[in-house]
Amino acid sequence: MDKPEILQGTLDLMVLKTLSVIGPLHGYGIARRIEQISEELAINQGTIYASLARLMLKGWIEGKWGTSENNRKAKFYYVTKTGHKQLKAEAENWERISRIMGRVLSLAERG
Amino acid sequence: MGAWMRALASRIRAWLSPGEVDQEFEQEMETHLELLIEENLRQGMAPAEARRAARVRLGGITQLKETNRELRGLPVVEALGQDTRYALRMLRKNPGFTAVAVLTLALGIGANTAIFSVVYAVLLKPLPYPDSGQLFSVFQARPRAGIRGLGWSYPNFVDLRDQNHVFSAVAGNQNHQLTLTGRGEPSVVDTSVVTAEFFSVFGEAPLAGRIFTPEDGKPGAPAVVMLSEGLWRAKFGGDPSVIGSSIDLDKKPFTVVGVMPAQFRFPLLSKSEEVWIPLAQDPVFSNFMPFRQGHLLQVTGRLKPGVSVGQARAELDALAAQFAKEHPAENTGWETRILPLQSVLAWDVRSALWVLLGAVGLVLLIACANIVNLLLARATSRAKEIALRATLGAGRARIIRQLLTESAVLCLLGGGAGTALAYWGARGLSALLPPSMPRVNAIGIDKGVLLFALALCLFASCAVGLVPALFAATANLPKAIRAGAGRTGESAIGRRARSLFAAVQIALAAVLLMGAGLLLRSFSKLTDVNPGFDAQHVVRAEVSLPQAKYTAPRQWAAFCGEFLQRLQAEPGMEDSALVIPVPIVDRQVKLAFEIEGRPESSADATRQADFASVSPGYFRVMDVPLVAGRLFDAHDRMDSPRVTVISKALARIYFPRENPIGKQLRFGPPPGGDVVPHEIVGVAGDVRNVALGSDPGPMMYVPFSQSPFWGSEVVVRSSLGTASVVAAIRREVNSLDKDVPVSDVAEMAEIVDASVAEPRVRTFLLALFAGMALVLAASGIFGVISYSVACRTQEIGIRMALGASRGTILRMVSRETALLAFAGLALGIPAALAASRLLGHMLFSVGASDPATLAAVAFALVGVAALAGYAPVRRAMRVDPMVALRHE
Repeated sequence: MDKPEILQGTLDLMVLKTLSVIGPLHGYGIARRIEQISEELAINQGTIYASLARLMLKGWIEGKWGTSENNRKAKFYYVTKTGHKQLKAEAENWERISRIMGRVLSLAERG
Repeated sequence: MGAWMRALASRIRAWLSPGEVDQEFEQEMETHLELLIEENLRQGMAPAEARRAARVRLGGITQLKETNRELRGLPVVEALGQDTRYALRMLRKNPGFTAVAVLTLALGIGANTAIFSVVYAVLLKPLPYPDSGQLFSVFQARPRAGIRGLGWSYPNFVDLRDQNHVFSAVAGNQNHQLTLTGRGEPSVVDTSVVTAEFFSVFGEAPLAGRIFTPEDGKPGAPAVVMLSEGLWRAKFGGDPSVIGSSIDLDKKPFTVVGVMPAQFRFPLLSKSEEVWIPLAQDPVFSNFMPFRQGHLLQVTGRLKPGVSVGQARAELDALAAQFAKEHPAENTGWETRILPLQSVLAWDVRSALWVLLGAVGLVLLIACANIVNLLLARATSRAKEIALRATLGAGRARIIRQLLTESAVLCLLGGGAGTALAYWGARGLSALLPPSMPRVNAIGIDKGVLLFALALCLFASCAVGLVPALFAATANLPKAIRAGAGRTGESAIGRRARSLFAAVQIALAAVLLMGAGLLLRSFSKLTDVNPGFDAQHVVRAEVSLPQAKYTAPRQWAAFCGEFLQRLQAEPGMEDSALVIPVPIVDRQVKLAFEIEGRPESSADATRQADFASVSPGYFRVMDVPLVAGRLFDAHDRMDSPRVTVISKALARIYFPRENPIGKQLRFGPPPGGDVVPHEIVGVAGDVRNVALGSDPGPMMYVPFSQSPFWGSEVVVRSSLGTASVVAAIRREVNSLDKDVPVSDVAEMAEIVDASVAEPRVRTFLLALFAGMALVLAASGIFGVISYSVACRTQEIGIRMALGASRGTILRMVSRETALLAFAGLALGIPAALAASRLLGHMLFSVGASDPATLAAVAFALVGVAALAGYAPVRRAMRVDPMVALRHE
C-alpha cells in the first residue's frame, strides 16, 4: 500500500489508535475501551472484528494467541511497524478532513 | 511490500484452510461473549439475562462469521472455484455431451502433442553439443551446374580453415566402415574419419584420455584412434587401461588416445559403436588428401561469439572468390554456403514434419468447430437458464466468465486425456519412424512438449468457449424469458453460425483429404514402380577385406573370385554375384566419361553416369534384362581388354540413333582411377539405383575382375531362408580367412521396402488425420442437421398436417445438408488446391492439383455429408403430425 488512503471506516482508525496507545488487546478489550472513551458511542461490538480483519489484511496490525484475564484463549492484536507509520498518516489525513468538514459546515450555517 | 505479501499469505492461508480460520474466529467470538457475560453478571444481571444482553451487544455471530470469511478469502479465486464446481456439475449432468466433447478434444490435442513431440525433438530441440546454436555446416555449391551443396577437398578445407576469421574452429569429416580385429570376432565399426580440429568444434570433453591434437592430423604422425563409450564398454569392458594400448583397424595398428562419452555422437545417426581416426591415417581417404578436386569432407564450423551469420556469409563469399582465383581449374564457379547444422541434419524431413503438424492442427480446428457447434446448440437450449441468471443480477461479464470456465474445464479434461494419449502416441511414433530419421531417440513428452499441450488447451478453451459465451451473453434476454416453458427456437443468427462452422469443418476436411489423397496416390505409384530389378529372394551381405593384409587389387580380385566359386558350390544357391555399389542401399558413384571419336564435353556439361562394378552373375541374380550385345563372362579378366555394359538410359541419351555396341567409352573406374577406353559390349535394362522415386539415370557397369574393390557386397538369389544363406556366406568367408567379417546382412526386398519407410509413415499419418477430420466433419454435419430437425419438429408436423408429402420434407431437410456440403466444398477446394502445393516435392508422379484426387475428395465429402444427414432426415420424415403439434 504505497498511497495513503482514507480508512474505510472511522472505526478502523479508532481501533488502530486504541491498539497503538494501549498495546496488545483482544477484541473485547478494544470494544470496551472504545466504548469508554467515546462515551456516547454505542457500537455493536461484533463490528470491530471486521475492522480488525481489514487492518490485518493491510498488514497494519498482527494478532497472536494468548490467555485472557478470565483464563480463556483469546487473540491479542498489536500494531505493526507499518501500522504505526500508517496511523500517523491516517490521523493527519483525518484531522485535515475534519478541519475541512468543520469549515464547510460552519460556512453552510452562516449562509 | 512486506505488509502486502503478509496479507496475501494470510488470504491464501484462509483460502486453503477455511475451516481453520472459521474455527479461530469462533474461538474469538466465544471468548468475547464470555467476557461480556461476566461483565453483565458483575453489574448484577441474572445469568439468563446476562447471556441475552451479551448476545445483543456482540451482534449476530453467523453474519459476523460470513463477513470475516469474505474479508479474508480470495474473492476471485472463490468465484473461479464456484464456477468450476458449477461447470463440473453441468458436465456431469450431460454425460453424453461431456464424453463426446472430451474425447474429441483428447484426440485433437493428443494427436497434436504427439506430432509436436516429433517436430520438437527433430527440428527444434537444441543439438546435444555445448552452444550448439553456434555450429554451422559449410558447403561448396555450384549453382550453374545445379549443385546446391557438396563437401570440400582437403586442400580447399585447409585454405578455409587457415584463412577465415569467423570460425573459432572448423573441421572436416567423412564416414565409412573399418574392420576391427584382434578383439574376439572381427567386427565392422562405423568410423568417422576426421580432421584434427573435429572435437574442438563440437566442444565435447573426452570421458577418458585426450582428444586429437593438430600433431595427430599431420601425415606421417603415429596412427591414433578415439573410441566411443559404447565400443569401449562392449569390446574392452570399460577398462581405462585401454588408453595407450593398440587396436587393429583393417589390420593396421592404432594407439587409443581417448574415449568419448556415449552422449557424443556425430554423425547423429551412427550406431553406438564407433571410432574416430585422423584423416591422414585412414587407409582409403588419406589417398585423396593431396587432390584439390573432389568434395570428400563434410565441413562443420563453430562461429566465434559475436559473429553473425551474415558476416560469416560475406567472408565465405570473399574466400570462395579468392579460392577460384588461386586455383581456377578446380574452384571456378564454386561458391560457399553456410547453414545451421541443426537444419542440415533434418533437411530431408523438415518439410514433411511441418506439413504433418499443420495437418494435425487442422484436425484440432475441426474438433474445436465441432465442440463450438455442440456448445452453441446447448447455449440455445440454455438461453432460459442464462436469462434467469441475468435477471437475478449476474452481470454480462460474470455470465461470460461462467461459460468460459465451462469450456476451459472441458478443454483441460480433454487436454489431460490428450496428453496421456500423446504419451503413447509419441512412443508409437518413435517406433514407427524410420531409424534413418535424425534424433528419433530424442522423441518424448518433455517440458517443451507439455508446455505446447498446455498452450493448445488454452487455445482450445478460447476457441471453443468465446463464440458460445458471446452469443449467450448478447442474447435477447426478455425474449428468452417470454418464450416461457416451451422450447426456445434457435435464433436465426445462431443457426447461421452453426451452419457456418459446419461448412468450415467440411472445408478443412477437404484440405486434409486432398493432401492425404495425393500422398496415397503418390505412395502407391512409388511402390508400384518397376525398380528394374527383382528384389524377391535376394539376400545381400558385405564382405570387407582388411587393407593392410590385402594390399593389391589383384589380391582382392583373387579372394572375391575364389569366395564366389566356393559359395556357388554350396547347395541351394541359385545364383550369386559380387556388386559394388548395391542399388538403393549404397551411395551411388558418379563417374565422368568421354566417348571415343567425339569432342570432349565442356566443363559445364560433363557426361556423367553412375558406375557399378559387378561379377558376371549379377544381372541374373537381380534379374536385370540384357537388351543388346552380351553380358560379362569369365573371359573378362584383369589382363583382357576393358569392357563395359551400359544401361538403356545411357544408350538412349548418348547413342540416340546408333548402335552403341562396339563403341568406346573413356573413363577411370576405381581402384586406380586411370582413364582408359572401355568397349561397350552390351546394353542392360534400366535400374532405379538411387531410390525408387528417382528416375533411372545413365549407368556403366564394369566387370569386378577388371575393377575390384577391397571387399564387396554379395548378392545371392536362393529359395533357402535368409539364415541359411548367411550361414553359407559366413562359412565360405571363414574358410578363406577367419579375420574377414561379414556384415550388413539383409534381404533386398526388405531394403527396398525400408527405403520408402519415410514416405510410408507420412502417408499413413496424413491419411489417419484426414480420416479423423472426415469423422469429425461428419459428426459436425450430423449435429447441425439433427439439431435443426429437432427444432423444426413442430414446423414439420404442421407442414405434414397441411398436406406436405414425405418427399417434400425429404427435399426440405436434404437441401439443408446439400447446402452445407456445397458451401464447404466451395470454401474447401480452393483452400485444398493452395495447401497441396506445400506437398510439392513429396509427390511422386502425381501433380499437386491432380484432378482425379480432387474429384475423389469432393465425391467423398458429398457422400459423407449425405450419410451424416441421413439419420436426421429419416427422423424428419417419420414425424407424426399429431405428436408434433402437441410437442411443446
